[in-house]
Amino acid sequence: MNIQDNYLKNKKNIFFSENKDIQTHREKLINIFENDRFDKKNNESLKNINLKNFIDFNYKYLIPEETSVINNNHENSYSIVSVNGQCSSFKDDKIEITKILDEDYNDFSKNDTIENNDHFVNLNSLFLNSGFKIVIKKNNNIKIRISNIITDDDLTIFQKNNYICEDGSSLNLIEEYENKNNSTSNILNVIKLEKNSQINHFLIQDNSPNHNLIITTHSSCKKDSTYIQKVYNFSEGYVRNFHYSELIEANSEADLQGIFFLKDNNTSNNKTFVKHLAEDCKSNQVYKGILKDRSKATYFSNTHVDQVAQKTEGYQLSKGILLSDNASYFSKPELKIYADDVKCSHGSTIGPIDENAIFYLRSRGMSKIAATKILISSFINEELNSIDNEQMSEIIQKKLVRYLSKVK
Amino acid sequence: MFLEIKDLSVKIENKNILKSLNLNINKGEVHAIMGPNGSGKSTLANVLAGKEDYEILNGRINFKDNNLFDLNIEERAQEGMFLAFQYPVEIPGVNITPFLHSAINSKRKRMSEEEIDNLSFAKLLKSKASDLGINIDMLKRSVNTGFSGGEKKRYEILQMSILNPDLAILDETDSGLDIDALKIVTDGVNKLKTKDNSFLIITHYQKLLDYIKPDYVHVMVNGSIVKSGGYEIAAEIEKDGFQKFQ
Amino acid sequence: MNSETLNTLNSYSKNKYKYGFVTEIDDEKPKKGLNEDTIKFISLKKNEPEWMLDWRLKAYSKWKKMKEPKWANLSFPEIDYQDIYYYSAPKGFEKKPKDLSEVDPKLIETYNKLGIPLEEQKVLAGVAVDVVFDSVSVATTYKGELEKLGIIFCSIGEAIQKHPDLIKKYLGSVIPPGDHSFSALNSAVFTDGSFVYIPESVKCPMELSTYFRINAENTGQFERTLIIADKGSYVSYLEGCTAPKRDDNQLHAANVELIALEDAEIKYSTVQNWYPGDEDGKGGIYNFVTKRGLCAGKNSKISWTQVETGSAITWKYPSCILKGDNSIGEFYSVAITNNFQQADTGTKMTHIGKNTKSKIISKGISLGKSQNTYRGEVSFLRKADKARNYTQCDSLLVGNQCGAHTVPYIDSKNNSAVIEHEASTSKINEDQLYYCRQRGLSHEEAVSLIVNGFCKQVLQELPMEFAVEAQKLVSISLEGSVG
Repeated sequence: MNIQDNYLKNKKNIFFSENKDIQTHREKLINIFENDRFDKKNNESLKNINLKNFIDFNYKYLIPEETSVINNNHENSYSIVSVNGQCSSFKDDKIEITKILDEDYNDFSKNDTIENNDHFVNLNSLFLNSGFKIVIKKNNNIKIRISNIITDDDLTIFQKNNYICEDGSSLNLIEEYENKNNSTSNILNVIKLEKNSQINHFLIQDNSPNHNLIITTHSSCKKDSTYIQKVYNFSEGYVRNFHYSELIEANSEADLQGIFFLKDNNTSNNKTFVKHLAEDCKSNQVYKGILKDRSKATYFSNTHVDQVAQKTEGYQLSKGILLSDNASYFSKPELKIYADDVKCSHGSTIGPIDENAIFYLRSRGMSKIAATKILISSFINEELNSIDNEQMSEIIQKKLVRYLSKVK
Repeated sequence: MFLEIKDLSVKIENKNILKSLNLNINKGEVHAIMGPNGSGKSTLANVLAGKEDYEILNGRINFKDNNLFDLNIEERAQEGMFLAFQYPVEIPGVNITPFLHSAINSKRKRMSEEEIDNLSFAKLLKSKASDLGINIDMLKRSVNTGFSGGEKKRYEILQMSILNPDLAILDETDSGLDIDALKIVTDGVNKLKTKDNSFLIITHYQKLLDYIKPDYVHVMVNGSIVKSGGYEIAAEIEKDGFQKFQ
Repeated sequence: MNSETLNTLNSYSKNKYKYGFVTEIDDEKPKKGLNEDTIKFISLKKNEPEWMLDWRLKAYSKWKKMKEPKWANLSFPEIDYQDIYYYSAPKGFEKKPKDLSEVDPKLIETYNKLGIPLEEQKVLAGVAVDVVFDSVSVATTYKGELEKLGIIFCSIGEAIQKHPDLIKKYLGSVIPPGDHSFSALNSAVFTDGSFVYIPESVKCPMELSTYFRINAENTGQFERTLIIADKGSYVSYLEGCTAPKRDDNQLHAANVELIALEDAEIKYSTVQNWYPGDEDGKGGIYNFVTKRGLCAGKNSKISWTQVETGSAITWKYPSCILKGDNSIGEFYSVAITNNFQQADTGTKMTHIGKNTKSKIISKGISLGKSQNTYRGEVSFLRKADKARNYTQCDSLLVGNQCGAHTVPYIDSKNNSAVIEHEASTSKINEDQLYYCRQRGLSHEEAVSLIVNGFCKQVLQELPMEFAVEAQKLVSISLEGSVG
């Protein structure tokens, strides 16, 4: 079905369709779709995927179920089970959770960092049907763990979440995506860090082959704030991790890291983008991927340094290991620099497991498979060691062992 | 007066480093400044050479009848001031020969002397290098690039001997040198010494002064000179440290 | 830097774009604009056989359906292809001069000003020069000596007449006319350029060199160069470019094809110094060049070295298709942009054969209000077992109004291939400047010295004659934006 028809047919169930401004914005988006006709050639972010699977969907609107659980089990610690992208409202003296509001939509639609040819973000804005907003109040130290669950087959969730970390507060956010049914989640996280705040954001992705996850994050950092994101992708279904960060005030920092483990016919597209818009800011973008069988991955990274962003330090690293003849990896690490007092660099390597290292280990009596497994683990050792949460470290180790058990 | 520093106060990034410092050096004299870490010794060397990071709060410096503050970095160098750096910077891809050749000719130009041609310069460089025990192969490398600490210091002295300065400032030249290298470096300095040039030697330790005998020794603490005298002061510091001057 | 270089620097600074003079010679042009008649006019003027005209017309019909490629990080007003002269030859050149006495003395003088000694006695030892003045090859030196070895070095026009078999076999075989709009345009209207054929097992004993020069106003220059190195042969080819000052923008869309057969090696060096426009960004050459080499045979090697200091816009990606097993591709580049210049340059290394290797060293320097982009693609296809690539791109920023961008595309479809890529961007090191100035060098000399050092890895790949010129150019390009 064509985008416009689909939209018009379901308009009454799409969030904020009464709002004039939002309507106008959505008409613009439809226009982009109509004119662009999904020109794959000129949109490298659409590499390796069959777009038809994503645009010919049956729009289903589910009435929100009140099954979301918020549990203040320990002090400052919250667990949320978000069902079909929904979360019940909640309020105490530290945090406040509400439904997503019109104003949040408008606020984001004016941002130009996510280019308007990102079809998945546009689809999210067009068909929005779920989402919530979490505010961490000033000077609090909070932990939140969110499990995302989808109840029905053939569902496509268009979810927008807003996070606001107020002055001086810090948030440890763990999100788990472990869906087993035949469905698609298209999620946009908009994260705002006020002065002197910090967010450690972990995303653990482990979906079954028939679930597609498209996740986009847009974070913006004010003075002295730090956003750290770590993505662990063990999914057997398609995952798109696109994460944008804007350093809008001085002395802020963005650290975007990811590791992904692909096998069979799976595909993953990844992108990180840091925009330096103020001076004395730092950024770090590091992605590592391991690909076996016929899997395919792309990684785009981009450090953009505005003219005013003097004393910028930016670092990018992209590494890939190809375990099979039929796997492929595409990487594009970009630097766009308009200020002169900067230190920016990037490195990228793609290749097989080091044969000399394998030989060395085998000469010590190790089997080839054991040697390969050890070397894969050491490839991501740094990332694994940097997980300071014991429980999470255990979860990820288990998933790694599962992946390695398939390595031959 | 050859070099006259009067009431010099200097700050960098809101921190006062030099405080009403006074120092006079005449032609043909060797002065040593000793002081603990952070006393402002290297700042003094950099202010003399004209490094642009410092803010001059007060005072004046006269050098060979010039107001030093009227001259920029290269003009001071061309007037005959040489700084042997504590940490010489690596300049990849820039060969020492053309580098020093243009340096010496810039100086000659300012002094209205005839420029030295390629061939004579190459000869000069080779002979000075062999005096200092520097391998000719090292002259083919880029300036300071990939050199050990000792090699870098020897290179500084080589440059000094080529440029033949009126005032040479040696900033912690002894740091990172083993005893053999120290001998070679100090021999080089002693050979250069004449009645027409002067040396300002900055160091922590007395050891260097066993090889280069200073006429005057100054103790610098907390941004000013607290005591001046002869070689005996160095021995005093060697024995008791800087504690009693603070 | 030696005193000679400094002197030259000084003399250049008095005369900013030394090559900006115009030679007053009557020229003969067809009407402005591009259509079948223009192409027929060119083909007729060059007395071409019919198959060549057909080839051009086919390319033209492809061009009509194409749009300009859009991947580059460039902004410029739309090019009006109907407002350009596509052919310009000094009058009386239908018949080629037999020797120098037949050449217009003004032309000789032009080349003397450019520093190219045309008279054989004056030719730099070991350099054979094929000079292209606008569109007609004027004189070729050292021809006789090369002929003895069986080397063919002539204008492409002459090759079409005399060596039609080689032309038919290889022209467009590496850059098909339909590749993109600029290659189609060039294929339709190319006027002159060089042709080189090195026979089996011959090592060309001298550097072959061509000096291109755009003289006539509103003329697009569309040379076409084709170099074939037969089995086991070697050739080093130099290309230098200058153009006069004009207020208008001129279009230059050259195509260069290289073919290296088994065990052959081609080294191609360019110093590009077309008129870059003035301090306000007015005028200057639009340089849209397609250069591509095919390592067709086993163990073959193609090496590109370029020093790009000129042109208002540079759009150029000298590439290697590494088809033969064990073949090697190299790309060494220095690109300096100043004032309002824009450069989008880099390379494409396509690894097809087993054990193929490529190396990319790129140095970008941005000054003034310029934009300098490295854009490179390294791809390993399925069969490229054990292929290797090493890429290093460094950018230097001088001033805070300019931009430096690095856009590498890295694509691996083979699990035994290894790609390594490193890049860095920084401003000029203040400590290095301080050190040089403490030794008595002026600020400007110090910058020039450090930048030359930064570029050394690339400059040392150039043949001697070129390396000196390139160093001077680097210094000149830095003028006016330092201090």
